[in-house]
Amino acid sequence: MGPPKKYKKERGAGDKFAKKRRAEDEAFTQLVEDNDSMDNASESDGVPGAASKNAETNDENINTDEYGAKDYRAQMQLRADHTNRPLWVAPNGHVFLESFSPVYKHAHDFLIAISEPVCRPEHIHEYKLTAYSLYAAVSVGLQTHDIVEYLKRLSKTSIPEGILEFIRLCTLSYGKVKLVLKHNKYFIESPHPEVLQKLLKDPVIQKCRLIRSEAEGEAFIQGTLDGKAITQFGTKLPTATDKPAEETPTTSTAAAAPGTDGAAAAVPDDITDFYEKIDKEEEDEDEANLKTVSFEVAQEKIELIQKRCIEIEHPLLAEYDFRNDTVNQDINIDLKPAAVLRPYQEKSLRKMFGNGRARSGVIVLPCGAGKSLVGVTACCTVRKRALVLCNSGVSVEQWKQQFKMWSTADDSMICRFTSEAKDKPMGCGILVTTYSMITHTQKRSWEAEQTMRWLQEQEWGIMVLDEVHTIPAKMFRRVLTIVQSHCKLGLTATLLREDDKIADLNFLIGPKLYEANWLELQKKGYIARVQCAEVWCPMSPEFYREYLTTKTSKKMLLYVMNPSKFRSCQFLIKYHEQRGDKTIVFSDNVFALKHYAIKMNKPFIYGPTSQNERIQILQNFKFNAKVNTIFVSKVADTSFDLPEANVLIQISSHGGSRRQEAQRLGRILRAKKGAIAEEYNAFFYTLVSQDTMEMSYSRKRQRFLVNQGYSYKVITHLKGMDTSTELMYNTQEEQGQLLQLVLSASDLDCEDERVPGEPGYRPGGSGTTKRTGALSSMSGGDDAIYYEHRRKNTGSVHPLFKKFRG
Amino acid sequence: MVNVMKGVLVECDPAMKQFLLHLDEKLAFGRKFIIQDLDESHLFISTDIVEVLQARVDELMDRISFPLHEKDA
Amino acid sequence: MADTKSGRYSSNAISPLVQSPENLECKNFQDYLRTRQTPESLEKLYNHPPICLAVFRELPEIARQFVIRILFVDQPVPQAVVSSWGAQRIAKEQEEATNCLTALNVWRVTAIPGGLSAWELSPTFKKSVRQVLLGGGKPWAMSSTTEKDSKPRDIAFLDSYAMSRWRCVLHYMVGTGGRNGGPDTDAISPDAVRILLHANLMKRDERDHHTITITRQGFQFLLLDTRAQVWHFMLQYLETCEERGISLPECLSMLFQLSFSTLGRDYSSVGMNSQMLTFLQHLREFGLVFQRRRKENRFYPTRLALNVTNKNGAEASTTADEERMQERGYIVVETNYRVYAYTDSPLQVAVLGLFTELLYRFPNLVVGVLTRDSVRQALRGGITAEQIVSYLEQYAHPNMKLVESAIQSKSCLPPTVVDQIKLWELERNRFTYTEGVVYNHFLSQNDFVTLRDYAQSIHMLVWQNERTRTMVVQKNGHDDVKRYWKKYSKSGG
Repeated sequence: MGPPKKYKKERGAGDKFAKKRRAEDEAFTQLVEDNDSMDNASESDGVPGAASKNAETNDENINTDEYGAKDYRAQMQLRADHTNRPLWVAPNGHVFLESFSPVYKHAHDFLIAISEPVCRPEHIHEYKLTAYSLYAAVSVGLQTHDIVEYLKRLSKTSIPEGILEFIRLCTLSYGKVKLVLKHNKYFIESPHPEVLQKLLKDPVIQKCRLIRSEAEGEAFIQGTLDGKAITQFGTKLPTATDKPAEETPTTSTAAAAPGTDGAAAAVPDDITDFYEKIDKEEEDEDEANLKTVSFEVAQEKIELIQKRCIEIEHPLLAEYDFRNDTVNQDINIDLKPAAVLRPYQEKSLRKMFGNGRARSGVIVLPCGAGKSLVGVTACCTVRKRALVLCNSGVSVEQWKQQFKMWSTADDSMICRFTSEAKDKPMGCGILVTTYSMITHTQKRSWEAEQTMRWLQEQEWGIMVLDEVHTIPAKMFRRVLTIVQSHCKLGLTATLLREDDKIADLNFLIGPKLYEANWLELQKKGYIARVQCAEVWCPMSPEFYREYLTTKTSKKMLLYVMNPSKFRSCQFLIKYHEQRGDKTIVFSDNVFALKHYAIKMNKPFIYGPTSQNERIQILQNFKFNAKVNTIFVSKVADTSFDLPEANVLIQISSHGGSRRQEAQRLGRILRAKKGAIAEEYNAFFYTLVSQDTMEMSYSRKRQRFLVNQGYSYKVITHLKGMDTSTELMYNTQEEQGQLLQLVLSASDLDCEDERVPGEPGYRPGGSGTTKRTGALSSMSGGDDAIYYEHRRKNTGSVHPLFKKFRG
Repeated sequence: MVNVMKGVLVECDPAMKQFLLHLDEKLAFGRKFIIQDLDESHLFISTDIVEVLQARVDELMDRISFPLHEKDA
Repeated sequence: MADTKSGRYSSNAISPLVQSPENLECKNFQDYLRTRQTPESLEKLYNHPPICLAVFRELPEIARQFVIRILFVDQPVPQAVVSSWGAQRIAKEQEEATNCLTALNVWRVTAIPGGLSAWELSPTFKKSVRQVLLGGGKPWAMSSTTEKDSKPRDIAFLDSYAMSRWRCVLHYMVGTGGRNGGPDTDAISPDAVRILLHANLMKRDERDHHTITITRQGFQFLLLDTRAQVWHFMLQYLETCEERGISLPECLSMLFQLSFSTLGRDYSSVGMNSQMLTFLQHLREFGLVFQRRRKENRFYPTRLALNVTNKNGAEASTTADEERMQERGYIVVETNYRVYAYTDSPLQVAVLGLFTELLYRFPNLVVGVLTRDSVRQALRGGITAEQIVSYLEQYAHPNMKLVESAIQSKSCLPPTVVDQIKLWELERNRFTYTEGVVYNHFLSQNDFVTLRDYAQSIHMLVWQNERTRTMVVQKNGHDDVKRYWKKYSKSGG
């Protein structure tokens, strides 16, 4: 084990005010990319040392063959019946799985539990064993021995010794100890008495122990885990007569009996046997009253003991035995009968509520695959006070809608807490707010102050964290110091950041419980089948000439405003309007956005567009048959929900952001009804100017989706565009005028729109911050809106804001 | 009278022609190499420059391409 | 603009960019006969009935009709009569057939009384074809065995034997022969090496004369399917057989006799002359025949020999049996450019390594990825995008063919990957260079037009513009144009 990381100085529960001030420096980085500058020692807070272990370097000493490939042939022996087994395990922790193997389903379920997917195209999937993924595996109940044994059986070859060692190292001490709140007392619980013995030898932990009577003495409290798996989510407690969920048709993917596989005959017995055994063990944990030992800890020392346990490499798994919580009142909320969970939604919730308690963790589902139903169902299952955190005011409204749509909660039960909507929180069951609303450090109104106080006093049953990948660890820590909640559910479409820091969220929130396979959801019709295309637009010679000689910032404007890109865009819009499609055009660059939209006479939304106008435009787009195309800036990425569309065109985007790309694709993923017959029912175009840096960015952006099995068709020539006479910028003269327009544009025009939460954007830290009503509406009710602010280093006011204020 | 010069006829798309003009103008190879600008897709250039020119074009293409595959994803 | 492009010039260029290096040229049998044989040598070949049969079989359908119709006519047939046999709508096909027969010297023009032109079959060809059809003449070199083989070899054995022999040649080319030992990696004979050198598939290192390395044509060769490889290799063999004292017509005849034989049957070499016995040993080495021992009279032709005359793999129908003969598909290509090859064969790995960046090697799997760099490296080596794609298609893993999109389209590869490989190739071809001479500053429009028209008439004009009175002439046309200009100026034009 590596040396334990120093834990940053304690944050006492009563020290919140001080922390608020400190948080002024903290940037809310939403689009954290390669240029993320948040390198900070405190990043590793709350992350055990073993988590930094990395199998990637295990193969450094392995020879490469004459072609430069890592030659693992000497490291492993091929098994005689290798054709019947589905995977290879490389000494660097990478695992390759045949998706066409008869045992694919077994292996896939297992790999999803123990490793991270790297890429999942059609035939062979790649996974990677990491310290985090193994932590997640043990926290959902897998044992070291099971992992090793099953991996051995699934593998076509012997498993490299280094990998076995890595698995042992990462799993032996993890997941053994739980922090359980039961009957309103906190217990440290474990099925392994020896582990508790070890913990109690630690003087810090000793001090945290609570011994209520002399008679109790030093002995452990004996107990049995009497939890029963929850098979009916979102309703009142299941009764003993409930049918096991496995028998209901909706859960066929959960754990179908191996024997039902048509091709099961080819599967070696040892694989199916073992799968059954693991499956059963999971059940065992649920059903068979597992013997446990525990000791009670003092409530005020919880934070201390959690830290200490991480330091000594026994991170505590937080489990919430909500059914035995009698202090916190139940809230009266159930799923409506109409709310039917899809198999993968049910499966992800099964991971969360596997043993009858609520585990904290993250569920990863593509956009449009129904994340909010999962969140609502989780809240309806726990039936305690729920706090939902999301990242914009519009999202808050949407979450409220979702609760009303899927559950029996009504307006009186749901409280919104944003800068614009401040419902009375007292007595509500569900509070929906934004991250920035509860973490910001500016002075609040008296009303808001009251709500904050109330929020802080509550013992929340469940906290749902929407778009969890957008919050940096630092901000998340702040949330944790403010909110007391028994379990945390993170929801996201892409656990993806250009840095690796998302991994730390595993320890701050909990392990990744489930990650859906995009391609599979697409095949089953749960999300739209999207044709992705990269349209190459040749630079006009005049524009390219300028591009070659001009300084960097102008280059961008030149390739975005390239006349042939404009024409391609116009052509595609016309084409899809004729088909009766709904098209959203994205441009991060505001100059281009306005020019394109105004020239083509289409409505557009960007930062300064007022809330009213936004709603009007969106409503028109939704219901008016004449408004089929809208232009939006990147405020649409996060700040508000777009209505359904099936065509998306990007004319300018944020550098090489893989996440923005995935997020934008998500805008058209909601499965269309009745469109199954067509090969594709949604279209995602990215227009790139040939021979410019945009080509490189475009490729960079695609990486994530390509690894999910998407493929981008390169279109070098739009059929019919040359003969189309209706397109603008047809003549040399018009193109010349456009060029003049671009050349006379200001530096500011050359930049992307700044949106709160990006690296370049620093919310005001000085006391001079002003927030006017007009300004707050700029970003659509987002709580971290455009306000005057100082750049941390230069102290100069960003020109953009001069403009907006002027 | 007729003027006669030896060299290499280059045919390319209009954008790439601009790239060559750009290299010529900023004396990227230490000297002018375009003998005559013929039309939007043709240039007549010095023979001895062809190879270093092509290398420069490759460089440009390298810059604007991005590896789709990450070795250590 | 009235650009004129004519044939690009292609000799003595200074830069490899200006002139593309020589690529592998694959000829089918007819091309071979047309380009490598003179009318005299064709006559010699036509003395051998098996060769005539092979020629006949590969003729266009209409040409075969012509031959059959006049085969037993002992006088020349007027051309007008022959052309009247086909309907007007197939005039083009008919002309092709006519040209083909002429080019192969199967028939020739002769005059008949009345001044009409007529067609007359080559007497040698006629005699041989009649013999093939009716029997008679000398017995073929290859004859049926008289005794039954006590340990007969079945087709599966012959297939695997043939492929293992043939792979030795390929292994040798990629430098993996004899490295790991084993039956697949036996060294090849000096004769085989000589053929590879002659065919320019391999070359001697310029510094170290003992080292032999593969050439760009060699790499291109590796990407061909087995049938095309064997045929190309055998053509090269035929070109060198005279210098080893073996008669070309006899070899070719024997090769075709083999191709007409029955797979799985044994034949006897009794009665073959010593040249043919040597040839048989060579065929044995390359896997075209199986023979237990060198001295044994009994031999079995393999599928490699039976397929040898098929024009090319694409046109010939592939039977299920032949598919089994081809190596099973082992390559998986993913939409994210990953390549997974189920193989441990050094040859397959070497070929894959030509255009793929290899990442990991497991005992039965190679993991690689197609990158811009790896594909460009292959393109630089003279391999074309088309060759890469067709290789990947040819050896695609059976599962690749089950994908929905593969069923709908003709290729089982992800379309975006195919497109991208081609785009990488196009990216390298954005410039075309033509060495030439520019003419400008003409005093009069007339001078310009005259000289331009002359350059055009000798197909040397590559670019011109009347308005600017500028033209570009190919380098090797300059002398002609200059001479013409001098003459023209002197004449005071």
